[in-house]
Amino acid sequence: MSATTTGTTSPEPLSPTTGEPVSEVARRNRLGIWLIIVSCTTGTVALLVAYAYLWSLNVSGGWAPTAGQANWADDWPFWAIALGMVVATLLLWRSWRVMQSGKSGASVALAGLASLIFLVCFIGQIMQIATFPFGPQDGAYASATLWLALANCIWLSLAMFLATAVMNRARVGRIAPDNASQIQFIAMFATYLCIAALLGAVFTLTMKASPNQSSPAFGTFQS
Amino acid sequence: MSTVDERTPEAEEPESPTNRPPGMHLATRWMERPYARRIILLTVIISAVIIALTFVMVAFMNLSGGPASDIQGEIEKTMYVLTFTSAPLMGFTLAILTYSWWGGWGKVKGPEEPTEEGPAIRTNGVAVVAWITVCSLLAAFLVIWGLVELATITASSYGSVPANQQPNAAKAIDINVTGQQWVWSFQYPDQGKITSSELVVPINVPLYFNVTSLDVVHSFWVVEAGVKIDANPGAITNTGFTPNKLGTFNIRCAELCGLHHAYMETNLRVVTQEQFDSWVREMGGAKTS
Amino acid sequence: MSATAVIHEQKHVPQPRQVGKPGGFLHRTNFTTAVISGIVLAAIFYFITGAIVQKVTGGGQQNNLSLPDGLQQQITMMYIGWIIGFMAGIGAFAGPIRWMLGHDLTHADAEYMAGKDMGRKKFWKYTTDHKVVGIQYLIVALILFGLGGLLAMLIRTELGVTWAEVFNPNFYNSLIGTHGIVMIIAMIIAVTGPLGNFIVPIMCGARDMAFPRLNALSLWLLVAAIPPLVSNLLMGGIRDGWTVYQPLADQAPVGMIGYQITIIVFAFSTGIASVNLITTVVTMRARGMTWSRVPIFVYGVVGSSIMGLIWFPMFQYSQILALSDRVLQTSFYTPASGGSVWLYENLFWLLGHPEVYVIVIPATAALLEIMPVFLRKPLFSYKLAIAGIFGIVGLSAVVWVHHMYMTGWAPSSNYPFMMSTEMISIPFSFLLLVMLGTMWRGKPWMKLPMMAVYAVIWNKVIGGITGVYLSDTPVDQYMHGSMFVVAHFHFMLMGAGLFGAMGAIAYWFPKMTNRYLDELVASIGFWTAFVGFQITFFAMFVAGLQGMPRRVLQFDQAFNMANWISTVGAYVIGIGMLIFLYAMITSWRSGKLAPGNPWGAHTLEAQTETPVPHENFPVLPVVTSDPYDFGVPDPYEMLDDAELEANEGVSKVGAS
Repeated sequence: MSATTTGTTSPEPLSPTTGEPVSEVARRNRLGIWLIIVSCTTGTVALLVAYAYLWSLNVSGGWAPTAGQANWADDWPFWAIALGMVVATLLLWRSWRVMQSGKSGASVALAGLASLIFLVCFIGQIMQIATFPFGPQDGAYASATLWLALANCIWLSLAMFLATAVMNRARVGRIAPDNASQIQFIAMFATYLCIAALLGAVFTLTMKASPNQSSPAFGTFQS
Repeated sequence: MSTVDERTPEAEEPESPTNRPPGMHLATRWMERPYARRIILLTVIISAVIIALTFVMVAFMNLSGGPASDIQGEIEKTMYVLTFTSAPLMGFTLAILTYSWWGGWGKVKGPEEPTEEGPAIRTNGVAVVAWITVCSLLAAFLVIWGLVELATITASSYGSVPANQQPNAAKAIDINVTGQQWVWSFQYPDQGKITSSELVVPINVPLYFNVTSLDVVHSFWVVEAGVKIDANPGAITNTGFTPNKLGTFNIRCAELCGLHHAYMETNLRVVTQEQFDSWVREMGGAKTS
Repeated sequence: MSATAVIHEQKHVPQPRQVGKPGGFLHRTNFTTAVISGIVLAAIFYFITGAIVQKVTGGGQQNNLSLPDGLQQQITMMYIGWIIGFMAGIGAFAGPIRWMLGHDLTHADAEYMAGKDMGRKKFWKYTTDHKVVGIQYLIVALILFGLGGLLAMLIRTELGVTWAEVFNPNFYNSLIGTHGIVMIIAMIIAVTGPLGNFIVPIMCGARDMAFPRLNALSLWLLVAAIPPLVSNLLMGGIRDGWTVYQPLADQAPVGMIGYQITIIVFAFSTGIASVNLITTVVTMRARGMTWSRVPIFVYGVVGSSIMGLIWFPMFQYSQILALSDRVLQTSFYTPASGGSVWLYENLFWLLGHPEVYVIVIPATAALLEIMPVFLRKPLFSYKLAIAGIFGIVGLSAVVWVHHMYMTGWAPSSNYPFMMSTEMISIPFSFLLLVMLGTMWRGKPWMKLPMMAVYAVIWNKVIGGITGVYLSDTPVDQYMHGSMFVVAHFHFMLMGAGLFGAMGAIAYWFPKMTNRYLDELVASIGFWTAFVGFQITFFAMFVAGLQGMPRRVLQFDQAFNMANWISTVGAYVIGIGMLIFLYAMITSWRSGKLAPGNPWGAHTLEAQTETPVPHENFPVLPVVTSDPYDFGVPDPYEMLDDAELEANEGVSKVGAS
């Protein structure tokens, strides 16, 4: 980027769009990402609240999946997917560090690997949803778990896009050692996604049978 | 204005400056300003109007024959207290509004920009502190009053304590209320499980309601008794009251529940114990305990 | 990469390779292409989903609404197709794709997208300039207000005709729900949309918003979200009020899907707009504009954006889960199979209450901005105003349960939530003191924006005192779900929010349209609406006190008189609003040309010329004082000081 700086007074590279120093643009983008994470957190909290609240109420005895026909979901896929996401996120952070130290080739490779792992997680997530031992209509646990997985699926598709974009932008030189913070922003967002996925895994692991087994039967006054 | 003239020399007496606290001196000086007394007068008038309006409001609430229970009595008492507490502040606000609007401090009309500027009052420590203190104290009073009242009406409506654990459990009548689109039905489990579409109860006997719904959310509102609780599908909610007035009152649904929500209403008939017993027999149920 | 562009007259900045013409794909897109591609994709999604559902279920799927098989899924996918198609057709996806490919915007691209030298065409395109977006928001808000107002007239007609049913119950309930949600959306965007986008960046001394493309995105998402909402009236309607409590909403016809899709998309739109506004204010203020020199309106918009940003996803997810109940047969809100109605109510009101402040705060802050100008006095206790705004923002998170006092959800939670609800009157009292203190001893310049201040304070006093009743659980036990509540929140949302927005729009109208608002006609409209408003809602208070439930179609004869009066008042509001609208339209077309600073304000937006140039300021301004440095030394203070000096005894004690 520093090939022609005729007429440029600032030693820092300037944004071609607005003419501001890239650090100025980065400061703005960082705040934007933080705000988006705050907003997304509320969404995640909404899903987790739905899960925990329905678990604690067990309305009409409808929390547990219908016995015989359906069952609790396996725990390990949640953790496996979350683990994959954590690894990919760490790769993104590493990619940022490597880019900062000037090795853009290695950075591209790391981002590409992260994108690949996100893809694997995405496929895994779809397989998990397809093989749940219950359908969406099998009670409140089924609903809440399905949506934790579906939300993760949507996040993963976004993460794939972002990681691929980072890789490509680094490859064509739009992300350079003196302008590396874009990778950091993507890594920040990916970190949030990991936390959301891990919380989902913790919730599905720890909250299975409802603590309330004496809920009134629907439409009657007997429990 | 003559009163102002009487006070002025007193405040400026050089012999005894220490006899009067400086705050009093400042307050007296403030009162001499031409607008001060007018605003205070306006405040008093407007507050009085607001307080008078409360009586009209409560009269409207009682238009259909209430209060039919202690709870509604408490609610109306609380309305007075809330108004009396907030009336001075509201009166003061509206007094300033009126005074400024009527041009007490002058006003600029016409399309030309005003030429003179107002006093550069950036802030006023005394006013800010006094205002925050007064508002916080009033709010605190309202909170405390509200908490006490809530505890009171919760006690008289039995709150969430099951009927058989109530102090006067032996006397209380349990009634199971079911809302469904778009009727109420009342079941008397202790009176031989008779079911009625009208709520018939004896006077001065505590009532305890279990409320649920068969389809969507309804809200069980006994208007003149001041009792309201949602009827939720898949859950049982509780409330209660002791009717203290004979007559026929309204029960309405207070939560939009579909097409004929407007028609989901029935009557509360408060009768004497003898009439109630004979009504129970007519309905084919057993006599009360 | 040897090409450079000259930016802001002095900087030569190296440019990436220009791909195609400046603007690229966006040359081909406009509103028409968006509508066409939206309709096409909606149709494609509709038929493909129909085929898939047929294939999967074999035509044997049962539902309790006696709807054709798969219609729910088809309608849902149709709306999703509309949204995606519309956004693709307007060019919203060009940005992310270019970003991914590394084709970053050149300066020429950015100027094309900001609509430089484009004329009127830019209002129909994915234009990034915040001034264009502001005008677009204003138009959208006016359209929504027109629609919502028309529905309000129909509702009042039904309630005024006490002797017959004018509409069938299904249509009447749909009217209520659609009026509610259309007005809520219109009010949410009424101030932060037009004024937040147009005025705030200029007030901060920025050349544009922080994320210009997100700005266009939030506007066009909003536009895309409106047709599903409006079309519900043709598809059985949302007959469950604007709160669409579950599981009642589950019984509703497919029109409900329109509501749900609209809310989901609108939540994205609001979230994006909030991120944009907050980032702009935090990072792009002019040099010298410290936090103690930021105009109070900017604080108001930021406070409102913070609440929208944090709480809107709750509403969004409540609707996502509701849609899932409908389309995937999950059971989040179906009590018979484990769902809970209280879950819905909690998720809904977690946004539902802060949203009231999202509406009221910016309107109030706009009036705080107006008052110093028309009184030629500094804002009284600027810091107290900031404390008030952020006090409300903070407390707004912990009051939602007061909408649920009577649900039986958790009776013991009524105690703490009654406490927090009554506490919120304290930060509101801060704002009230700031208004009164600014008014104190000021000589008001009686123009329409200043008159709106008086109107709004009056309405707020009424809304506030009735709010005190409703915040108190015992009294709410009588009032909840009655017409009293309806009258109360109209006093807050319409009385404080809409009348405040009218004042704010009257104030900034010259800046936005280069022309004065016709003072006489607009004032006649404003006061007619105000008088009608008082008649309508005082009568409604009476109906509520008498025990009339809300959202009813027919009622006891005892309520007739109150409802007749209320209906007459509503028509008066309608006439007043039409007059105001007429004043706006005629002034916009042929009003008197306005100078750059028509009111003598000290804020930055008044210092740039009108019409506002392409990047707002030829040279970025530097701020040296706060915008409220009006006024002359207080004569009373000087008098007191002189006296204190003369009288030494008092002076000594007084100084301590």
